[in-house]
Amino acid sequence: MTASVWAYSESDSAANELAYVANEIANAVGGQAVTLEMDRTRAGVSSAGEKLVLKSMSAPVDSPELAAEAMSRAAKASNPSVILVAATRQGREVAARLAAKLGAGCISEAFKLSASDRTLVGERSVYSGKLVARMSTPMPCVATVKVGSYPQLKGSEAKVEEMDVGELVPKVKRLHTTRKQVGTVDLKSAKVIVSAGRGVKKKEDLGMVEELAKLLGGALGCSRPLSSDLGWLPEEHHIGLTGVSVRPDLYLAVGISGQLQHIAGIKDSRIIAAVNTDKDAPIFQASDYGVVADLYQLIPALQKLLRARRS
Amino acid sequence: MKVAVCVKNAIDETELRTDASGRPLLDGAATKMSTFDKNAVEEGIRIKSSHGGEVVVFTVGGVDAKKTIKEALAMGADRAVHVLAELGTLDSLGTSRALAGAIRNEGTFDVILCSEGSSDTYTGQVPPMLGEVLSLPYVGYARKIEIGAGLAKIERSLEDSVETVECGLPFVASVVSEINEPRYPTLIQIMQASKKPIAEVGAHMLGPAGLSGGNVAVVSMTAQAMERKRVMIEGTAEEAAEKLLQALIAEGVLPR
Ligand SMILES: Cc1cc2nc3c(=O)[nH]c(=O)nc-3n(C[C@H](O)[C@H](O)[C@H](O)COP(=O)(O)OP(=O)(O)OC[C@H]3O[C@@H](n4cnc5c(N)ncnc54)[C@H](O)[C@@H]3O)c2cc1C
Repeated sequence: MTASVWAYSESDSAANELAYVANEIANAVGGQAVTLEMDRTRAGVSSAGEKLVLKSMSAPVDSPELAAEAMSRAAKASNPSVILVAATRQGREVAARLAAKLGAGCISEAFKLSASDRTLVGERSVYSGKLVARMSTPMPCVATVKVGSYPQLKGSEAKVEEMDVGELVPKVKRLHTTRKQVGTVDLKSAKVIVSAGRGVKKKEDLGMVEELAKLLGGALGCSRPLSSDLGWLPEEHHIGLTGVSVRPDLYLAVGISGQLQHIAGIKDSRIIAAVNTDKDAPIFQASDYGVVADLYQLIPALQKLLRARRS
Repeated sequence: MKVAVCVKNAIDETELRTDASGRPLLDGAATKMSTFDKNAVEEGIRIKSSHGGEVVVFTVGGVDAKKTIKEALAMGADRAVHVLAELGTLDSLGTSRALAGAIRNEGTFDVILCSEGSSDTYTGQVPPMLGEVLSLPYVGYARKIEIGAGLAKIERSLEDSVETVECGLPFVASVVSEINEPRYPTLIQIMQASKKPIAEVGAHMLGPAGLSGGNVAVVSMTAQAMERKRVMIEGTAEEAAEKLLQALIAEGVLPR
């Protein structure tokens, strides 16, 4: 029997990242990579090998609760060796539920995975990114992959199979969904990221930071408080341990103190630069270039120079 | 309304030291209540203040966990159940089974709260696993919880959307930090907390599952390597901006 490695995410870009990882692990264990989808095939999602579509006649499989139940039934029927789930907020729930249902080990938030000898080994950040832990668990097992750790697999044709998982009865009912804010960012593929932190005093001032990002041909990111506590930006902009991991050529942090949890998400950037009024801010220890300055003075000065260069 | 709140006594990452080879000095490391768990305790107390009832704190951990329990009691929880186990001997599934066993032993709760993830390992697995082990509805990343007659309406905060969901009581939820502002206990509350009951539970009292669930093992831990140039740029805003741009161009991360 050939081993299979399953990959699932509700987000298209994360699903493509997982297809890449599944392919790597499948190659290592001599098995088949399978991209899982719920209800129907999604055009934006690539697959390294096969696509398996899980369906139920009774309910759309559109929540982490039902996705986990559908996947556990499918897993009991076809015994995959490894099930990978992207570590989004929904994905963490899917993976944890699945591991509990299967009584399997679950390595979470891995940014590097390898497989050998019926064992999955994953590396992840612990203690706010201060340390890297290597975790291992016997197969069959579940793992969540830290979003942004691997490249995305693009455009391959896959053989599609469908499986009816039977009746699904949700305990949690969705009443409605509201988008946090229109517009999406693709921080994972951005070459330049300018990130705003609490040093930015008002939501309106983010416009200035975003304009700087545009002038540099980059995207806008932020520290956790701006998205989680203040709600100035959607969570998809939030970089770090609990947000996305990024690896741009240039990461410019403005008004970010540089706590471990933030650094955990930017450590693979090629060049890190920081602007902060506090000369002792920890961000400077984690930077290639540090400017002790008020962002309200430095950003306009940078903009002026960049505009002059353009014309 | 009976509210259970799960808290973790976590290693204080800001105090954690490593030895010369980069291995963490975990023995005797300072601990504290895991950051976001304060939001879970606060939410439990708020639910009690509008619906009455009691708030019971549950923790799985070593003797050191008493201080985290006392902090939760000082914030306003009524009593605590301490499952004695050394941190690091259980994986997430083991911890959620232990919590589930301890919660079941205390009868039926209407609401069981956790935080989105702990500040030390941040796996975020225990809350959904607890929902599964207890076979209850589970809602993750709650930023607002409204409890009505037998039903809860919860706003769950996802990366780019907010879902409003409904489920029956009892339920398990994890909360995010924006749900509330945790209170600071007063000196009087801290003193009163020492009189509140803390029950200690050993593995043998948790039923057949006991403290099982050690599928995931830590192979090694090493310090995060971080080598950066740490060049500081000085001058007026105009001068510093110019120097920064030149440096970034020289690095090849900005076009000439
Ligand atoms: C379990 C856990 C997970 C977490 N995950 C993340 C994560 O993924 N990502 C994340 O970012 N955080 C995360 N955090 C939060 C993290 O610990 C910090 O609280 C957060 O990163 C701080 O954000 P900040 O640097 O923007 O704000 P602050 O720490 O408040 O820093 C603001 C900085 O701005 C500077 N400043 C002020 N005014 C100006 C000015 N005019 N010009 C220039 N500089 C100025 C100040 O000197 C200061 O250094 C997490 C925390 C926990 C407990």
